[in-house]
Amino acid sequence: MLRFEKRENVSTKLKMFIPLLSIMIGLLIGAIAILFAKINPLMAYKAILVGAFGSKYTFTETLVFATPLILISVGLILVFKMNFWNIGAYGQYILGAILSSYFALFLPTNIPKLLLLTIMTLAGLLGGALWALIPAVLKAYWDVNEVISTLLLNYVALYILQYFMYGPWRDPRSHGFPLSKMFADNAQLPKIIANSRVHLGLIFGIVAAFIVWFLIKKTKLGYETRIIGGSKEAAHYAGINVPKDIIIAMMISGALAGLAGMAQISGVIHLLQIQINPDYGYTAIIAAWLSYLEPFTAIIVSILLGALAAGGYQIQITMQVPFGIISVIESVILFTLIGSEILLRYTIHLEKRRKT
Amino acid sequence: MLGPTLQTILINLLYTAVRSGTIILFPTIGEIFAERSGVMNLGIEGMMIIGAFFGFVVTYTTKNPYLGFVAGMLAGGVASLIHAFIVITLQGRQVVSGLALTIFGLGITNFYGQRFINAQLNVSLSRFAIPLLSKIPIIGIIFFKQDIFVYFSYIVAIFMWYVLYKTKVGIQLRATGENAAAADAMGVNVYATRYFWTFFGGLLAGAGGAYLTIVYAPFWLDGITAGRGWIAVALVIFAMWDPINAIFGAYLFGSIDALQFLLQARGTTIPSSLLSMQPYLLTFIVIVIASLIVRLKHIGVPRELGLPFSREEK
Repeated sequence: MLRFEKRENVSTKLKMFIPLLSIMIGLLIGAIAILFAKINPLMAYKAILVGAFGSKYTFTETLVFATPLILISVGLILVFKMNFWNIGAYGQYILGAILSSYFALFLPTNIPKLLLLTIMTLAGLLGGALWALIPAVLKAYWDVNEVISTLLLNYVALYILQYFMYGPWRDPRSHGFPLSKMFADNAQLPKIIANSRVHLGLIFGIVAAFIVWFLIKKTKLGYETRIIGGSKEAAHYAGINVPKDIIIAMMISGALAGLAGMAQISGVIHLLQIQINPDYGYTAIIAAWLSYLEPFTAIIVSILLGALAAGGYQIQITMQVPFGIISVIESVILFTLIGSEILLRYTIHLEKRRKT
Repeated sequence: MLGPTLQTILINLLYTAVRSGTIILFPTIGEIFAERSGVMNLGIEGMMIIGAFFGFVVTYTTKNPYLGFVAGMLAGGVASLIHAFIVITLQGRQVVSGLALTIFGLGITNFYGQRFINAQLNVSLSRFAIPLLSKIPIIGIIFFKQDIFVYFSYIVAIFMWYVLYKTKVGIQLRATGENAAAADAMGVNVYATRYFWTFFGGLLAGAGGAYLTIVYAPFWLDGITAGRGWIAVALVIFAMWDPINAIFGAYLFGSIDALQFLLQARGTTIPSSLLSMQPYLLTFIVIVIASLIVRLKHIGVPRELGLPFSREEK
């Protein structure tokens, strides 16, 4: 029988140890799964490492994968702090991509690059924020479960994207493929590292992390989100306008997810298509938790998860290892992390079952 | 001749609606019982696809759909135990653990499912006409000339309604979800009760997934459950945590699903993306309305849903 005893204080060592333990267990279970597929897990992991950190170029690829994760996870941190479960970054990302694409595809091609990119950035923010506004208002005023509403809206967003790609926005010269026409140069985010695909979105992410850190630590909104996260009733009795805070925080979170979508199509893909990797919206949830909801830690964790994704794509191509293995590793990391949080609250003793 | 043809189309539509609804009905009932015990499991989508995968693979290799169905159920049940251990024993956050289970299920079936992609099952499941009931005009064809798994879902819904409201087990289950400390004082083993009903939820999620790949769409595709698990989670609210109401929710979803398939098959001019969107959009609208009713009437929600229980903390 396990017996739990309340802990008085938590050492930083233990707080560091738990994410590391989670990653180790994630990799271990992943290795067992790979072994069952009759593939040498050591070879696979070595290939992931090489694929993520092996050269200067592969490291820049890791940064490319990390960029949307940073943007989305720092936004999620803000709402997760108040125990609002935004699982809808997937859809907010798509809507940000769609709305910014509209300006890339339909504004005259001769407008200045800076102006067009500014408009697209605002459109990405707005698309995500508005899509997030729906579940936020429903939660704030009618108490509609946000996990379910954000998730169902993800599927709605996916089909809106499909509608545009198979319908009005399909490039007539795409031979029937669901692709828009290529973005002109003035609609493409500039590269920030030569000979790589790393784009300005990475800077957006770092700025976003700083803004969210500032909001949480230095503003009334941040202070209130923490109280709401502790107890909604307490926040209400303390005179906090809970619905207003939910809506503001959720719109910021959605805006950053939308910006991630914009950055991905404008900085990496250079056109709108069905495969724009909105799954970052789910992976970012893991990044937010692994970082203990600290925006700057989320940057580092996003780079680690970006490395896993970059390496994962490598082994899919070179070793035919399906990408699902990365999801398996990530989910086990998340399970272990959530399961080990008890170590932060209790010390655990093993003892013989007592008669009660 | 338009009359009889339209009638045939409608009957066919509703017949398909029941089959499509069955995929959702199993997991919805399962989640109702898990939530009634206080455990919210957002891993339905993950458990469903694990059930779908095992159901498919076992049927594919043994040619026995019944064995496949049982395998799918058990696989869903085993998957649910991960969630149970994390949230009941270790008191981890239920929302995050459930999400992890969904990511796990989608990942592991993608990983092992590659070589089955586009594989087809060629087992045909016989339909049984139920004596007397199947003779009822219209209703008989829609509900009582189905396959054995559909009948199993009727039995589960009705039997579980009985268990919930009319048995000691049901009282203990509801007490656990409403007030775990009081249930504990009554002598109910809160941990065991929650483990059991979470496992039960996993079995039924697996059953829904297995029905999908063995009967409804007898082939394997990556991510074949396509969000049906989330619709089941949503329908729990629609059903106000009552297994009989779940039947209506599931068939409502099934009707929309069947209708959009029918329209696509008949070559409508409505873009297929907008048709495929309907089940999710309508479930979304239905959930908003149901949440409003739950809020106004204060019914249904197990009071301690999502809260961990620890004897030491009393």
